[in-house]
Amino acid sequence: MPGVDVQRVLGIETSCDETAAAVVDGGTTIVSSVVSSQVDLHARYGGVVPELAGRAHVELLTPVLADALAAAGSDASGRGIDAVAVTYGPGLMGSLLVGVAEAKALSMAWGVPFVGVNHLEAHLFASLLEQPDLGWPLVVLLVSGGHTLLVEVTAPGTYRLLGGTIDDAAGEAFDKVARFLGLGYPGGPAIDRVAEDGDPAAFAFPRSLLGKGYDFSFSGLKTAVVNEVRKHPEARTEDVAASFRRAVVDVLVSKARAAAADVGARAICLAGGVAANSLLRSEIVAACEADGIGAFVPSRALCTDNAAMVAAAGWWRLANSGASPLTLGADPNLELVPTHSPDLS
Amino acid sequence: MNLLAIETATDLVGAAFVADPARPGHPAAAVQSEPGGRRHAEALAPAVEAVCARTGHTVRDVDVVAVDNGPGLFTGLRVGVATAKAFGQALGIGVVAVSSLDVLAAAALERWEGTRPVTVVAVVDARRGEVFTAAYRDGGAGDADPADLVVAPTDRFDPAALVAGVERLAAEVAGGPVVVVGDGAARYRDLLDGIAGVVPDLLDGEGALVAPPPDVLAALARARLARGEQPAPAATVVPDYRREADARINWVERRPPER
Ligand SMILES: [Zn+2]
Repeated sequence: MPGVDVQRVLGIETSCDETAAAVVDGGTTIVSSVVSSQVDLHARYGGVVPELAGRAHVELLTPVLADALAAAGSDASGRGIDAVAVTYGPGLMGSLLVGVAEAKALSMAWGVPFVGVNHLEAHLFASLLEQPDLGWPLVVLLVSGGHTLLVEVTAPGTYRLLGGTIDDAAGEAFDKVARFLGLGYPGGPAIDRVAEDGDPAAFAFPRSLLGKGYDFSFSGLKTAVVNEVRKHPEARTEDVAASFRRAVVDVLVSKARAAAADVGARAICLAGGVAANSLLRSEIVAACEADGIGAFVPSRALCTDNAAMVAAAGWWRLANSGASPLTLGADPNLELVPTHSPDLS
Repeated sequence: MNLLAIETATDLVGAAFVADPARPGHPAAAVQSEPGGRRHAEALAPAVEAVCARTGHTVRDVDVVAVDNGPGLFTGLRVGVATAKAFGQALGIGVVAVSSLDVLAAAALERWEGTRPVTVVAVVDARRGEVFTAAYRDGGAGDADPADLVVAPTDRFDPAALVAGVERLAAEVAGGPVVVVGDGAARYRDLLDGIAGVVPDLLDGEGALVAPPPDVLAALARARLARGEQPAPAATVVPDYRREADARINWVERRPPER
């Protein structure tokens, strides 16, 4: 498929509970980025409720889009926008469909190309928005509420999956433990907050699969926390949270570090919502310093779901494999293709 | 005024374009639909493109968008409404939201044009053992909008309540048939078949009325605009779900320990 050279791409992201739109220039320069989080909507349930998310996207997308276009000096007529990129998977089906439908309609109304983007690939592109000259190869640790992946990136769009979670995603473990401890939702920031005042050595929680390849498992850790707290009801929540956070971060950092050494990576890069975790951020920097490789920790706004990363990935996809057909559907189980090259699309 | 109609409230995905005035060498109207399969996100945009092209237009020539905003399939409604809102926003045009049950009723009244009085019960499958339904009665006073003929407003029922309602309507009717249409009626046809006065003959075969037809949606929207109804701004259009969101997540509930 022939590549399409474009300058300004509008990105749309509705795969989970963030409704987002952004305009990115040349694949690397963020012109505008608007994210409307539905956190408050889902907080009382302790997790994302798919039907509520789908309904909210329909209502939020019109104003979010208007804001992103206005902030980019454009308007609803799409003046100056050369293409529309949208996340088409993985994610919640009822949410993905909203963005896909919207993106197709905009591309038809504006007469510009439309391209579907893999949400995981978009996360890998997030770092390029702040550091376009990242050295290759890179190891990316992508950790969020839905995913825990270790990926080797040898060039933009070319990657190899090194490992993933065999049960819960890291962010899911944070949410579940936070909910169990009565700390609220989302769990990552909630645990981060109280863990600061706790003793990370108070409990010796398991480090599952440590030293055993690049796959992760967090379900046992969550169960261990539950059992420990039931055994010791007097335990301080701060200590439990700190010990739990420490165990998760130990595993994530140790595996990322081993992977980087294994593939001869020049740097480790964080991506995904859990990359906003303060301990993970400081530990990965310290580990990379000790190993003499680079560490790249994107700003928190680019770690969590946003549409700028979708626009960036879309720009690259358009240039390398061209536009998507209007028959593209949403794929809730879309996977990161092991080695993604233009030929494979 | 060029009107684009978008229909995704049930399994059927469709679009209709009515050009006004028609372009030389092109038909004034085009309709395309794909029944079944629930491929709303895949099929809608190509259908829109096709109906525009067949009348010698592109999406950019659309002056007003009509969309079936339900009740119906939640995911289908989201695809249709999101598409209509995006066209409305990007083209700076208004959106006419029309009830799926009104479209079904308009289609049935058209099919039974020579018979008055006639009662139409439009039934859309709400899944999980329920239906969305509304009833309409045309006594023959002339061209009427289904919205003006409502004898039982839109509500959600279980099949037993649907049967009881249809029986009551059939008993009330003085000599006219009760025509049941829609995928909800088709699903519970066995329960409706034996009721005296009830005609479920539009539920299968050629011309079955199980899904709201996109061309009838277009005609009904045009009629409403002609009567002076104002299209809504894109931002205000939402699906008519008629059911609270299922607010469950798939995690096991654990009570926080007493502490
Ligand atoms: Zn994400």
